[in-house]
Amino acid sequence: MDLKLIRPMTEEFAEYLRDESRSVGSAEHIAFPRTQDEIREILKACYASGEKVTVQGARTGLAAAAVPYGGCIVNLNKMNRVTAMRHEGGDYYITLQPGVVLSELKKMIGSKKFDTTDWDEASNAAYVDFCKDGEFFFSPDPTEASATIGGMVCCNASGARSYHYGPTRGHITKVTMVLSDGRTLTETRGGECANGYDAVFTCDDGSKISAKLPTYEMPKTKNASGYYAAKDMELIDVLIGSDGTLGVVSEIEVKLLPLPQIIWGVSLLFENEQSSLRFVDQLRGSVEGVASVEFFDSGALDILREQKKKSTAFSALPVIEPFVNTVVYVELHCDTEEQAQQRLFAVGDAFTAAGGKEENSWVARNQSDLDRLMFFRHAVPESVNMLIDQRKQKDPTITKLGADMSVPDAHLFDVVKMYRDTLKENNLESATWGHVGNNHLHVNVLPNNGEEYARAKELFKVWAANVSKMGGAVSAEHGVGKLKAAFLTIMYGDRHIDEMRALKRAFDPKWQLGVGNLFTEKEGI
Amino acid sequence: MKIIVCIKQVPSTNEVRMDPVTKTIIRDSRQAVINPFDTYAIEEAVRLKEQLGGTVYAMSMGIPATERLLRDAMARGVDKSLLLTDRAFAGADTLATSYALSLGAAQLGDFDLIICGKMAVDGDTAQIGPELSAQLGIPFITDVCEILEASEKKLRCKKVTDNGFAEVEITLPALITVSKDINMPRFPSISGVRFSLTAPFRSCTAADVGADTERCGLTGSPTQVVRSFTPDRSHKAQPLTGSMAEIADAALKIYEEVR
Amino acid sequence: MGIKIDRDLCIGCGTCLGACGSGALELSGDGYAVVNDNCVMCGMCVDACPVGAITLEKDGGESDISAYHGVWVFAQQTEGKILPVAYELLGKGRELADALGVTLTAVCFGSNVQQPEKLIHAGADKVILADDPKLGFAMDLPYADLLTKLIRERKPEIVLYGATAFGRSMAPRVAATVKTGLTADCTILEIDGETKLLRQTRPAFGGNLMATIICPNTRPQMATVRPGVMPALEPDTSRTGEIERLTGVEIPDTAVTLLNTITEITGDNITDYDILVVGGKGVGAKKNMKYVKRLAELLGGNYGVSRPLIDAGWAEYKHQVGQTGCSVAPKLLLSLGVSGAIQHLAGIGGAQTIIAVNTDPDAPIFNVAHYAVVGDCIEFMQEMIAKLEAKQ
Repeated sequence: MDLKLIRPMTEEFAEYLRDESRSVGSAEHIAFPRTQDEIREILKACYASGEKVTVQGARTGLAAAAVPYGGCIVNLNKMNRVTAMRHEGGDYYITLQPGVVLSELKKMIGSKKFDTTDWDEASNAAYVDFCKDGEFFFSPDPTEASATIGGMVCCNASGARSYHYGPTRGHITKVTMVLSDGRTLTETRGGECANGYDAVFTCDDGSKISAKLPTYEMPKTKNASGYYAAKDMELIDVLIGSDGTLGVVSEIEVKLLPLPQIIWGVSLLFENEQSSLRFVDQLRGSVEGVASVEFFDSGALDILREQKKKSTAFSALPVIEPFVNTVVYVELHCDTEEQAQQRLFAVGDAFTAAGGKEENSWVARNQSDLDRLMFFRHAVPESVNMLIDQRKQKDPTITKLGADMSVPDAHLFDVVKMYRDTLKENNLESATWGHVGNNHLHVNVLPNNGEEYARAKELFKVWAANVSKMGGAVSAEHGVGKLKAAFLTIMYGDRHIDEMRALKRAFDPKWQLGVGNLFTEKEGI
Repeated sequence: MKIIVCIKQVPSTNEVRMDPVTKTIIRDSRQAVINPFDTYAIEEAVRLKEQLGGTVYAMSMGIPATERLLRDAMARGVDKSLLLTDRAFAGADTLATSYALSLGAAQLGDFDLIICGKMAVDGDTAQIGPELSAQLGIPFITDVCEILEASEKKLRCKKVTDNGFAEVEITLPALITVSKDINMPRFPSISGVRFSLTAPFRSCTAADVGADTERCGLTGSPTQVVRSFTPDRSHKAQPLTGSMAEIADAALKIYEEVR
Repeated sequence: MGIKIDRDLCIGCGTCLGACGSGALELSGDGYAVVNDNCVMCGMCVDACPVGAITLEKDGGESDISAYHGVWVFAQQTEGKILPVAYELLGKGRELADALGVTLTAVCFGSNVQQPEKLIHAGADKVILADDPKLGFAMDLPYADLLTKLIRERKPEIVLYGATAFGRSMAPRVAATVKTGLTADCTILEIDGETKLLRQTRPAFGGNLMATIICPNTRPQMATVRPGVMPALEPDTSRTGEIERLTGVEIPDTAVTLLNTITEITGDNITDYDILVVGGKGVGAKKNMKYVKRLAELLGGNYGVSRPLIDAGWAEYKHQVGQTGCSVAPKLLLSLGVSGAIQHLAGIGGAQTIIAVNTDPDAPIFNVAHYAVVGDCIEFMQEMIAKLEAKQ
């Protein structure tokens, strides 16, 4: 390849072979485009040579979707600019390049400071309005705030607040993708729709892509497993969550929400897990304004207690008394302080009804207390990672194994029972946390050795099958990537996987993009 | 044991608005919080109460909206609170503030211990604790980072000094100021929040506490602000550019020149 | 408020005892007149005294401020060694005393205080020294009581203190006892040409605002100054002056007893170094602190950190640079990955040369730096370390 944009892979780029999942891939080339036109140049060159293309953002993914499968890496970190702003019907929309980092975006929105250098007149006018207006925010909040917006669109990322505001999908109003042959495709919210399961995508040059949409029924729960597909759906939703398999996302427009006036948080300390689940069940539907419902089990708390003793980095954590077996965090978004009080007391009532004692709670009503509760929540995965790193020194073959499965509300008790029973049967250590409000728990198995690691991997397949039977999703927010491709087959079965393959083939006839993500290539489809 | 905790309402950020006439800061209560150092004082008082029994009072001098923060203190284990609020108190420097607080403490009666935060994050003078102790004529220890032993009569404390720590014993009644190493403040509980909404709360004017208005507020403050200005930040740094190796060479050259 | 008897003037004649209608005066064991609680402040004794040793002092505002003269510097010592901040204050004190045409006095309390003449060399005209085993360790109450007594007797118009932990603790006790103002952490001190008042300028609101403060109606005018903020004069060993050793100083026991001291910072105070390497959030991870430490070591300096790193547990508090940590005044400060929050900038104002490295070209640190490097501080440190190690 003679294109200057595409560089041969050398030792200095070694880190781009990995992502946060800690899997390692291989590649021959790497490119760091700065504009959509550069992406098009790169893809055209790869299309001509037939080279495979893996797109990368911040490589914070946990499913290895950004780990290259040979060929060329297209890393979008340098496309990190906010390019436009729109003010319409009282709402604000901003246009982002895919490499914009979430934490930076939050900072820009919060401080209302944007680099408006190349903005057009309309954007600048919108920006003037925006500065005068109230406070706004972008609600998707994956724990890893160093993720890029492009990565979040590719896996339809969620966070704690998705309980109330939904995943990334609902906040995206426009996506532009560069297709494998260099054409671009733009889909907007409220734009092109499918006719039943027949979809015709109109590219920016007017050319059309016709495809059949998969006909499975998606789980009625938080879901980031495979293509979004439904009868008469908006076609923008096919692009969101497509895991880098249909094209390279080159531009995204997001809608901002008005920031709630009052944000309060409360952590409830339970003496046993069952009452915490009863509480969650009670809370759902009975209290308004609940933005997130998060869960930390005894395994996670024990590790936290241990690390707090060992490391000064965790000394700011509140003391977790020995009686505390499970912690549930509830965040309330309200309009007035009176409303927040009412809702807090309603949470208290549900807590009491589930067997809790109101004095065993941590209420945060100001920013510094909220920050402390946030620190607690983030310290859990961090302390588990530290523990695994210690164990890895003894046996380098092991890694943390984390589940990302969700089930419908009715199955909360069932799915927790399943996790508990099977972990006990297999005598595996674990730490669990996550978005219990969505019945979406990150059950993390902590293997001591290679043998336990292998056993845990088998167990995950059993879970995938059971969760699918409950009408759940094998990946609720991390995406399927390469690591969970087998689970996707368990969830949907071969026939529906073939439908997905056919959709991909319509976009990517030479099967070049995101190879290994979601499913493998199959001859003839 | 009867313990008084002094708390101050401070802005949650250090961005400033000034009243151009009086040259005093305009307080915006919406974003106000309890001075972070005072949260450690609250926690330590509540811990002492839990250990020795007794009552914890929170006291503040401030605008009426400070009630919200005193109630927050009550959600965190404080039993009762007193707010000194009066136009006559406005514009007080540390001497006039400590005078008002000393009258508030007298109003609350025979206390054993007063706990203040080491300093306030807005004024950063660290003067109220020692000045209040002088106004009341009681002994004091500043910058306490650990209470080693406590009884109704005495406290044995570890305090921060200029070159380390000192262990000191103080006979009560007395005043201490606490540093942020002393504890990890608790969160209010839901039941604490419920209690705080209806908890006993008293508000007093200058007349209520028998204050000599000549010694209060702006009138009673020996110090006067004659000018406030934003510091000049128009300075321009000389850029060091090139490859990192070239930059390091330039930096080392500067190092050789100045050392 | 009350009757004051100047022991320097009293001859112990007893005339006042007869003049008093309340039985409020008596002669002490050592032969001076003293006032007891019976005093109603009628002022009869004031006129009766043949040597003018008795005065009736009114409260703060109304007291006669013209009686106050001279500039004092409280010179703090530790283990008999005078702290550098005392010399820094004398440098400024000299300037103020010259502007007013008055004497500059250093007041020092301690036990076996070494080389008090150095205070003269640093600019003082006179030293008042209380040297007593009971004053060995600086304790708030005995120091404040003794200083209060001296201020009441001798009436200085200005008293400056180092804003050390001890100075910030004792000075307000003195201020509230003598009922005068005290301005903390001044960065500029000057005499107003017209009013001859001390203009005290200090940062407020974390340095977002500077405020100039005066204390027009009460005396002394008192201020504290952070170590490292004012430059000391070059010691002039040819200077001479009186060193008055206070004798017969009574230091009563107070309600505070010192049980034990733990010395942690000995000669390893970051304020004592000419070269400082200061790391901020841009250092990125605790493991990268090794570069900060190594670079400081290679440059023959010490390292400091900004507040967030203390909060994250990456360094001990004594390494914190900034408003709530140490104010520093090194010859060279390398600021690495520090964005430059205003509280931090307040603590590095005394640095002579600042080289700042930050990836953000708009970082406020560049507003105070002399040299700016827009780039990654880790790379910078690695490059510097490699070059310095190669030289060794």
